Amino acid sequence: MNAADTSFKPADAPVPGNAVSAPFFLCGELFQGQDAVHRSRDLGVTFATPRIDLDRVVHPRTRVPPLLNVPLAEIIDFLVETGQRLRDPGNPFVRECVDRMALTHVLPRAVLEEQTRSAAAYLDRRLLHAVVEQNFPDPKALDEWVPKQDFTGRKSFVRAFAPRLIHVLPGNSPGVAVKSIAQGAMVKAVNLFKMSSSDPFTTVAVLRTMADIDRDHAIVKSMSAVYWRGGDDAVERALYRPQYFDKIVAWGGGDAISNVTKYLGPGLQLVSFDPKTSISMVGREAVSCDEALDRAARLAAADVMVLNQEACVASRFIFVEADQRDADRFCERLHAHIVEVAAASGDARPLDMDLREQVEMLVMLDDEFRVWGKTDGKGLVIRSDEPVDFHPINKTANVVRVDSLDDAMRYVNVATQTVGFYPHQRMPDYRDRLASCGAQRIVRLGEAGPSTIGNPHDAMYPLHRFVHWMAHEDGVAPGGS
Amino acid sequence: MTPVTSASEKLMRLAAAADRFDYSAAELRETQVAALDERFQERKDRIKLLGHRAREAGTAEIRRREDMVPLLFPHTVYKSYPESFLIEERWDRLGKWLGTVSPHPISPVETSDIADIDDWIERLAAKGHYVSCSSGTTGKSAMLLASDRDMDWSRTDTVNVFSWGSGVRPARDRRMMGLAPTASVPKNLVIGAAQQDAFGDPARERFRLPIPAITVGSLTKMIVLRKKIADGTALPGELADFERTSAERQEALDKAMIAGAEALVRYRDEKLYISGLWNALYQVARIVREMGYSAKDFHPDNCIYVGGGLKRAQLPADYQEFVHETFNIPATRDFQNYSMQELNSGMPKCQRGGRYHVPPWLVPFILDEEGTALLPHETGEVEGRAAFYDLSLDGRWGGIITGDKISLDFSPCACGCKGASVRNNIVRYADLQGDDKIGCAGTVDAYVRGLS
Repeated sequence: MNAADTSFKPADAPVPGNAVSAPFFLCGELFQGQDAVHRSRDLGVTFATPRIDLDRVVHPRTRVPPLLNVPLAEIIDFLVETGQRLRDPGNPFVRECVDRMALTHVLPRAVLEEQTRSAAAYLDRRLLHAVVEQNFPDPKALDEWVPKQDFTGRKSFVRAFAPRLIHVLPGNSPGVAVKSIAQGAMVKAVNLFKMSSSDPFTTVAVLRTMADIDRDHAIVKSMSAVYWRGGDDAVERALYRPQYFDKIVAWGGGDAISNVTKYLGPGLQLVSFDPKTSISMVGREAVSCDEALDRAARLAAADVMVLNQEACVASRFIFVEADQRDADRFCERLHAHIVEVAAASGDARPLDMDLREQVEMLVMLDDEFRVWGKTDGKGLVIRSDEPVDFHPINKTANVVRVDSLDDAMRYVNVATQTVGFYPHQRMPDYRDRLASCGAQRIVRLGEAGPSTIGNPHDAMYPLHRFVHWMAHEDGVAPGGS
Repeated sequence: MTPVTSASEKLMRLAAAADRFDYSAAELRETQVAALDERFQERKDRIKLLGHRAREAGTAEIRRREDMVPLLFPHTVYKSYPESFLIEERWDRLGKWLGTVSPHPISPVETSDIADIDDWIERLAAKGHYVSCSSGTTGKSAMLLASDRDMDWSRTDTVNVFSWGSGVRPARDRRMMGLAPTASVPKNLVIGAAQQDAFGDPARERFRLPIPAITVGSLTKMIVLRKKIADGTALPGELADFERTSAERQEALDKAMIAGAEALVRYRDEKLYISGLWNALYQVARIVREMGYSAKDFHPDNCIYVGGGLKRAQLPADYQEFVHETFNIPATRDFQNYSMQELNSGMPKCQRGGRYHVPPWLVPFILDEEGTALLPHETGEVEGRAAFYDLSLDGRWGGIITGDKISLDFSPCACGCKGASVRNNIVRYADLQGDDKIGCAGTVDAYVRGLS
């Protein structure tokens, strides 16, 4: 292992061979090194990391978690101060992080800067309290052994005990890093963050900001962030064991999850945030007049363009209840609005070759499909009678024309996350069927991004699932049976 | 006076020339560029997708190799049909799709009473449109269209390639031992028949694996089922049936491997021509060894034709030696060919230099990883994404961007040939994607288990 950098000053030596340095953070200490060079897919950039000292990322079970007896109120104070420092334009850790991320991320620098700033908005006192209150019927269980008594007179204490968590972080939204740190802290967990190759920086930057406040605080001592290549047996076979951790909190699907599931078993559970597709439903009210048409198209474009369509809440398929002529009018307006938002973001990555090919083929089959825009990454709309085969990404919307929104229900499945609806008055007619098909969230069109603070995510209250629910049975009250 | 010959004809005429791999890239350059322009001019108004590409790129003629790059089709173009056409058996729509990539108008076929995709493919073949499908199991399968002229070319090219690469003369003096469970698609059938005619002893019956033909229909069934699982419309009973059928098929295949091994042992004294894919050949070789037979028991002049790569099969590092040693294949008969379904011509590997040789009618391009720009390449070796223009292709556009990373050398090879050659270190970019990025956005594909 490399010598710890105890200065907490951003003074990374340049790494030879153009690799960007990605230091690790272990329980308050920063580690730099160039023992391993990894590759980030999106921009084909390499980054260098130190070796992982595996012994240091696990917390012996014979020692209680450092945060266990730190009051929740104090943890929230600390998180709030972290938020203030993250928003400070002079924060050297954040600045350096964005510098590095811009090299490895698909999103442009301005979008990344804004994301880091808005990620810090999660660290708000009222918000954090609301999250805890929504997740736990009695948040006191985080701080103390809460006394209970059932109707037979049997007594006990229950504690939402501090767990040991591995967070397998996604790379498409820096906000998840901040959120995961806050949630891990509020449940008082011992946290190991496994960073993603497309963002091996943000988590460490946030943790360094926290260490700069008080490097000896229990919250800082409870956090480690490292990178290894997902699926690397040498690391995962050693770490993914119930003797070291209680839960693996994992984002993503496919290989990322199948790598993890083979390690699950008694004592080691998975809390998964599954890969999701979001969609929109636009009723025939939208094509009733030009004004409504433009409004619905503008709202739909806003949902398509969340994080330039990199996020899971970003809409990809828009079911429009109209005949072909009206659907085409909607498409035209939708395209114009997407192009406008796309141009303002300054992000014009052309579509991948594979996607480009499939779209161009639909241009050829013009008696069944119609395409607005080009494959240049500046905004694209495809109209069809059923959803296209590919995953619309990079500012691409597929408008699927239906006679009735009822017909769109069969395209809702277990991978459907958010459904944006227009007009919102029709939402109650559809929400039961949407839930039955597997969807998790129904919102007014144009409001895919925001959600009520503390609401369920991926059909669960995550914090409630993170903790180790512990019961202390305490006999029977006098007079009980 | 000789008749005026086109540049492409000039190059294609070298098909049977003994010195065809001895023309340097520099010597061929000018003729190849002229041939590319001929093909472009002939087809830009006939292949709808090509016309679209040319308009987008503003290309009116091919004056340099660079001009061709935006007109090369990614290999995925042959999978770009909307899957619903296949699943909902909309044959007329699939026919229309074929029409966008075909230089020859797709003759209308009666589609009202078509039973399945095999039926459709058969009716197209009767009109001179030969559709071969790749055996993609998890994703879409590519549909590659070929004409009668392509079939004729394949017939000759496959024999020339094998003969050049293996040193085996087409003397019709071997027993043909077919050990490949390959799909019954027109291209495979033509190649099999041509090899048989050229190298097989007409008096000795060809051995085939005793398994039912793998038709395009049986391949696409899996694709259809996968889609149904993703949609949530497949019921558990259907899945259990499918698993049962798969298990039965595997059992039949395992038995066929034993039958193959027994046949090899039975004919061990004869001069054999063994063909197959590495995975099957390795399995059969293991059974033969377990039966107590090895090199010393087989004819010293055997030869072997291996098609395709490993297809992700997990085999020990020495699988090639193991197979060669089992069947007593002489070291000088180590035949390897670099080609793909998307091309109509092969690139055989030479014995002395161990490199794959590019024939004059196959114009190679080395592109950047994204496949959008030609890498500068005048001399020596350059590595990048392989693309080719196969001048011999008549039934579809000859320009293809592959999924392969190759090293192409314009210097003469150790074997003495002066033509362009490819180093024996070809990998697929798909296998190289050493990245573990995960995101919260994804598709229902992540929820489909099994069926791989």
